Amino acid sequence: MPPQRRMHILPVDAYVSQDWFDLEQERIFSRVWRYAGFAEDVSEPGQYVSVQAGLNNIFVVMGRDRRLRAFHNICRHRGTQLLRAVGKTQKAITCPYHDWTYDLEGRLISVPEEDSEFKGLDKSCLGLKPASIDLWRGMIFVHPEAEAGSIMDWFGEVEPHLGPHKVEELVEYPDSATAHEIKANWKIVVENYIDHYHLAHLHAGTLSMYDHARAEFGFVGPHFAFWEPLAPHYLENVEEKAPQPLILPMDQLGASVPMLFPGLGLGENESSWSTFHIVPLAPDLTRVEIRNRVKNAPARDFERQQSRSHRFWSKHITGKYGAGDAGSDADPMASGDFLAEDIYVCEQQQKSLQSPYFEIGASAERGESPVRQHQQIVLDYVEGRR
Amino acid sequence: MHGDFHGLRVKERREEIKGAVTVVFEVPAHLAEVFAWRPGQHLTLRFTLKGEEVRRSYSISTSPFSGDPLQITVKRVEGGLLSNHINDRVRVGNAIDVMPPFGTFRLDPGERLRRTHYFFGAGSGITPLVSMLQSMLIAEPYSVAHLVYGNRSADTILFKARLEDLRARYPERLTVSHVLSRPSMWSSFSFWRRGLVDKAAVEAAIAENPPYAQDTQYYICGPGKMNQTVRDALMGLDVPASRLHMESYGGAIDVDDTIAGVAAEARIRLDGRTQTVTIPQGQTILQATRAAGLSPPFSCQSGVCGACRAKLVDGSVHMRARLALEDEEIADGAILTCQSIATTSALSVAFE
Ligand code: FES
Ligand code: FES
Ligand SMILES: [Fe+2]
Repeated sequence: MPPQRRMHILPVDAYVSQDWFDLEQERIFSRVWRYAGFAEDVSEPGQYVSVQAGLNNIFVVMGRDRRLRAFHNICRHRGTQLLRAVGKTQKAITCPYHDWTYDLEGRLISVPEEDSEFKGLDKSCLGLKPASIDLWRGMIFVHPEAEAGSIMDWFGEVEPHLGPHKVEELVEYPDSATAHEIKANWKIVVENYIDHYHLAHLHAGTLSMYDHARAEFGFVGPHFAFWEPLAPHYLENVEEKAPQPLILPMDQLGASVPMLFPGLGLGENESSWSTFHIVPLAPDLTRVEIRNRVKNAPARDFERQQSRSHRFWSKHITGKYGAGDAGSDADPMASGDFLAEDIYVCEQQQKSLQSPYFEIGASAERGESPVRQHQQIVLDYVEGRR
Repeated sequence: MHGDFHGLRVKERREEIKGAVTVVFEVPAHLAEVFAWRPGQHLTLRFTLKGEEVRRSYSISTSPFSGDPLQITVKRVEGGLLSNHINDRVRVGNAIDVMPPFGTFRLDPGERLRRTHYFFGAGSGITPLVSMLQSMLIAEPYSVAHLVYGNRSADTILFKARLEDLRARYPERLTVSHVLSRPSMWSSFSFWRRGLVDKAAVEAAIAENPPYAQDTQYYICGPGKMNQTVRDALMGLDVPASRLHMESYGGAIDVDDTIAGVAAEARIRLDGRTQTVTIPQGQTILQATRAAGLSPPFSCQSGVCGACRAKLVDGSVHMRARLALEDEEIADGAILTCQSIATTSALSVAFE
């Protein structure tokens, strides 16, 4: 008999089986506040986006009072999805199938051939089903329930442990959004994000500007908070060394790298603020969408900062393996890019899960404690304790 | 219980601006609970002037969360019986008959709530708004507020320094936009807009300060005409009626006198007893009920304060004015008895 196949708390099954994937979709991703983009994505009356939040497809639209509304993207006639990904509408939303039409309050306002085909139809009972919505830290969040309560019931406790950034004042760095499909379960990606132990090893050449030994981290409710100071060699003259203009005052420098449940990582540091949105696609496939915000400053400030910091970065960023050790130029381990390093190890770990000989050897007491705790939280949700 | 008056001593009296006085009441310990108030509520004062009983309601201008004492701020109204009496005659040490705080125009802060509150006011309409505003700044830490406040000129702005102080203390959670209709050329006071708190001002205010927290609430308090304009402007932007809260003071109130009504027999429930009252044609339910020797609660008698509110259990009425009620409350059967004349010959009314 092979030893029991467990990753610390969760069974290996949780990382490979469709059943587990479906359970998580239902019991985690369909029940909590979900990230739905930046506030700027829906910033004009009539603009909308739709997002998949677990089993729910929810669209967000701005009314003329500039308040966002969220509705389940389901026509009340026979259920057709009303809106596609993004766009702009005037005052009404018309279903493509039979042209039932709703206003931006979700009220059903017209039904073709109503008099002859739907005698006595009470349109007031057939409004779109509302969902909850709010903005927080410059991001849109939706919740499938109409009366989800305050978003601060969800984020209030962790908020004081996040970076001191005034996110709304930062602007998105043009053309810097990226998306990555990773051949690994979403929890592998989360666990990598919150694993303190790997920072000094996998990223020895790419993240040495932070002082990992002095990191402070832990869970606050289901959310993970993490902070670490700048390493001394980077801190010295950081105004010159930062790759972009600084966005934090000198007495508050550092990197906060929280992971908000379920699967919204933030990277909040001295010169940029980014989202790392983890979207499960299949048991062994996950998409990560990254967007970045920086100081609201003219382009020439960025050019200048880049050129004055170039020398520092060219000296301090290296691949984990030198070109000679690595298989080829395209080898992520020689890339000098910490994201490529992370993706590489996530996929390598996922591959081994199929093997009957797979077995966790040991777990670092402090550095890997977040990994175990995250698994416990997932388990609690799936087994109905949360 | 509301309906009962208590004699409260005037502890302090101060002139806020020319023609507006703040009266601070001393609430004895045994009445502290009776006089606990919620932001936005008002007090009804009773005076006997020239042998006649006069009642008026004034909004409480302090916040129950700031530790400040109970106070009202009363601005002179031209020809206003009581506002002038209070400005001219009330002195420290006087005892005044005051009914406990009352009113459904309220903002109840919640520690975890996260809302964007828009306040639209003009003149002394600021009194309930400043109490609400300060309360939510103190007791609803995740929420933000935007005040649009109309006045004639800088020296007629009530609570100017207090608003400035709040803005300085909560720079990230409060904006104050002053609208002046006749700003003085010599004043250095910087204001947001010239004109009235009208449709254009409402639209500009929301465009400049779009809601951040998405649970938005709108509070309107000014003369009847401003209220209607602001309400129409907001409804024109698709603000749902459930998010609008309005109170009127002074000035013109929309009164619909077009319906004459009918004589009726009404079953009136009050204080747990039911009695039949005959209402002659043209009389309000409140008038007839008082004429029958009962003592129902009431205050302003002009449809503004809500003190005379009751539930219409059976029959139908016409309300001449209904400012103190929101649409939803009316849908639930609430009526203002001081404004209601019968339109069916049998009524059943319950005071709550
Ligand atoms: S399904 Fe939408 S109109 Fe028929
Ligand atoms: S007495 Fe004030 S509304 Fe009727
Ligand atoms: Fe990493």
